Amino acid sequence: MGAFVTDRAVPLEGVKVLELAEGVAGPFAGKMMGAMGADVIKVEPPGRGDAARAFPPFLDDAPHPETSGLFLYLNTNKRGVTLDLAHPSGRELARRLVGWADVIVESSAPGRLAEWGLGYEAIAPLNPGAILVSVTPFGQDGPYRDYQSSDLVALALGGLLYITGDPDREPLKLGGQPSEYFAGLAAFSAAMVALHHRDAGGEGQHVDVSVLEGIATAQMYAGLNYAYLHENRRRQNAFAPMFRAKDGHVGVMYRQPNWPTFCEMIGHPELVRDERFRDVAARRDHAGELNAIVAEWMASQPKEELYHRAQAARMPFGYICDARDLIESPQYGARGYFQEIDHPLAGRHLYPGMPIHWGHERWELHGAPLLGAHNAEVYGGLGVSGEELAVLRACGAI
Amino acid sequence: MTPRALAGLRVLDGTQVWAGPTCTKLLGDMGAEVIKVESARRLDVARGEVNPRSGAGIYPDGDPQERPWNRAGLYNDRNRNKRNICLDLTHPRGVDAFKRLAAKSDVVTESFRSGVMERFGLGYDDLRQVRDDIIMVSLSSQGATGPERAYGSFGATLEQTAGIASMTGYRGGDPTTSGTFFPDPVVAVFSVGCILAAVRQRDRTGRGTYLDLSQREVTTSIVGEMVMDYTMNGRRWEPIGNRHRVFAPQGVYPCAGDDMWIAITVRSDAEWAALARVMGRPELAEDPRLAGVLGRRAEHDRLDATIAEWTCQRDAYATMRELQAAGVAAGVATQGHQLFEDPQLVARGFWEEVDHPEAGRHPYLSRPFKLSKTPGGTYSYAPLLGEHTEVVLREVAGMSDEEIRELTELGVTSNDPTAFAPVED
Repeated sequence: MGAFVTDRAVPLEGVKVLELAEGVAGPFAGKMMGAMGADVIKVEPPGRGDAARAFPPFLDDAPHPETSGLFLYLNTNKRGVTLDLAHPSGRELARRLVGWADVIVESSAPGRLAEWGLGYEAIAPLNPGAILVSVTPFGQDGPYRDYQSSDLVALALGGLLYITGDPDREPLKLGGQPSEYFAGLAAFSAAMVALHHRDAGGEGQHVDVSVLEGIATAQMYAGLNYAYLHENRRRQNAFAPMFRAKDGHVGVMYRQPNWPTFCEMIGHPELVRDERFRDVAARRDHAGELNAIVAEWMASQPKEELYHRAQAARMPFGYICDARDLIESPQYGARGYFQEIDHPLAGRHLYPGMPIHWGHERWELHGAPLLGAHNAEVYGGLGVSGEELAVLRACGAI
Repeated sequence: MTPRALAGLRVLDGTQVWAGPTCTKLLGDMGAEVIKVESARRLDVARGEVNPRSGAGIYPDGDPQERPWNRAGLYNDRNRNKRNICLDLTHPRGVDAFKRLAAKSDVVTESFRSGVMERFGLGYDDLRQVRDDIIMVSLSSQGATGPERAYGSFGATLEQTAGIASMTGYRGGDPTTSGTFFPDPVVAVFSVGCILAAVRQRDRTGRGTYLDLSQREVTTSIVGEMVMDYTMNGRRWEPIGNRHRVFAPQGVYPCAGDDMWIAITVRSDAEWAALARVMGRPELAEDPRLAGVLGRRAEHDRLDATIAEWTCQRDAYATMRELQAAGVAAGVATQGHQLFEDPQLVARGFWEEVDHPEAGRHPYLSRPFKLSKTPGGTYSYAPLLGEHTEVVLREVAGMSDEEIRELTELGVTSNDPTAFAPVED
């Protein structure tokens, strides 16, 4: 592909998205649609806003509702309005927004939307083509439907926690909020499936995304091992064993044909003829001895240099990248992965950009909205007058 | 009949291993017609070795039998709802057949090392010659551009190079990776939406496009706040074990039974009081040093010990139910067999049984989303190697019996991997 870039990529131009979600998963889905050119209106409760606004990291570690790095990242390319769904006057406006939208993303507890008169049964007659995407910890039904959750709990019940970590220690959490992000991507894709169906002449529908089922999908090994082998997969050592390099960690991966190259690289070509390491099984039996040799050699080598040398020899090593390594990655630099985005209160910072190149077109990313920044514009567009807005504001509906 | 959301969409699938095949499986689940192209000379890695070493691979009852490639669990997990055709893409007639199929397809997917499709003569520009509005999707490790474009990876090494491993690990210990290849399903689930966005764009503008997805970048997109803390504050995250960056306590605690554990997250002062009550330790809730989250964070080690002392003789499931009844987030660290008995997954029909002619009947994981009017499902088992070569070449590529016979004689469509020496990349 040539390097020159022309127009803005807008595959979802014309799609109208109403985001009633907060936290990570629902807003991540909305962020993707916004980046792709959909018009995303994010609805937040007046006052506190999206719960993510209260979560670190904050710019300069100074808590402020407009400078949470979590919120800023998850809410690019959206317009923001405030609306109290618990307030009858707020719901009146919400119904008009629902009539406007093609896709509605929400993350309230199962049944809550229906209590507010905004469940799928209420939405469908208003807007038969609307796609309601509900993202919740366990889904809209089933015995756990009202259970409380967290990223850790989702990883536990979804089977991924049990197989992660050292065999002789407690199961270990995958870092960050992987279950939430995963569910966000599932919500995005499910919305696209439903939109495709509707635009091909079908109806709108209710999409039910369960964070638990995302992780139950991602774990794969635990389920498959039991289904095929009737045994429970346990925690085991990492697939790509990691060693301490001079300035960090390197993940080692090679296959049998690469074994001589690997011995050469670690400065021990004589190991090729060493019976203890003859094949995969032998190396597994003598892992301790081999690891000691590798560890000693690796301790003096810079991590990135090792990574590049191994890759050049067709061994798919990895190196542990923390955020600084990512920002400084020559590969990410060459692809322009990180994008500088401006925000009226948080200022200009690098954000992870869109992880896919779209032909010769470029993504255009905009900063997250200030709380209620687009109230006048959005509600005005729905035909609400300035006077009415003032009344709704005074009553606490917006 | 229940409508299928993606009926009429044809996907020519050249992907292998995990991420790509899982993406096209999901498209197939939702009703797309997926034609998977493989070669007997170089099997999809997920099919395992032609002559597997003892103990290698995941085969029903551990038995690879005569045609291990049709019994490989990793393959059967992610290739249902596809037809399978064998083509040697290093042969000009194989390339020609691929192009004739591409001409009849909406989408072509591939996950070779960057540059391989171009070498076959099947790059985007080549495919546009046969179908101007084709959508081509490359799911490569690092993207199709940049100095590392030809680098290889596995899910485990992507966790390392994308950032997630840097914050995964026991407190004070080395970074580590997950017990699965987490980036693969992440990429799969994201790419479904990207492909359908491209289809929408084509339907509205008449233009196809080339999608160049970087698996590493997709994985970094799920560690947003970790990156933002660096770009805003210069902070680099380290592993914090099972703890939460805000709430306390949070941890994984031992229970009665074989390697049984429960995960607990206390997200508020009220939940702390509830946990103390369920533990039968009301004095903990009354202790002013522990009433607030800062106090609980300061005392986290002691609280972990107290909670573990309470859980260690208890049944994990009963404890989960009791805590959840009190409004405390808790979940069992579910083991393999328990996944199939989990009341929630079972009630929602998460597992779908499939009868496979060579692998037998097993439950497989379904989908991370449920659509009310177009639920999708499992319509056919993961195909045998080359099972649909003839019918696809006849019906989709429009080939005559004569042409198909020629391809067979040339060995282009061979479905016998034992006839070839293993190819190393």
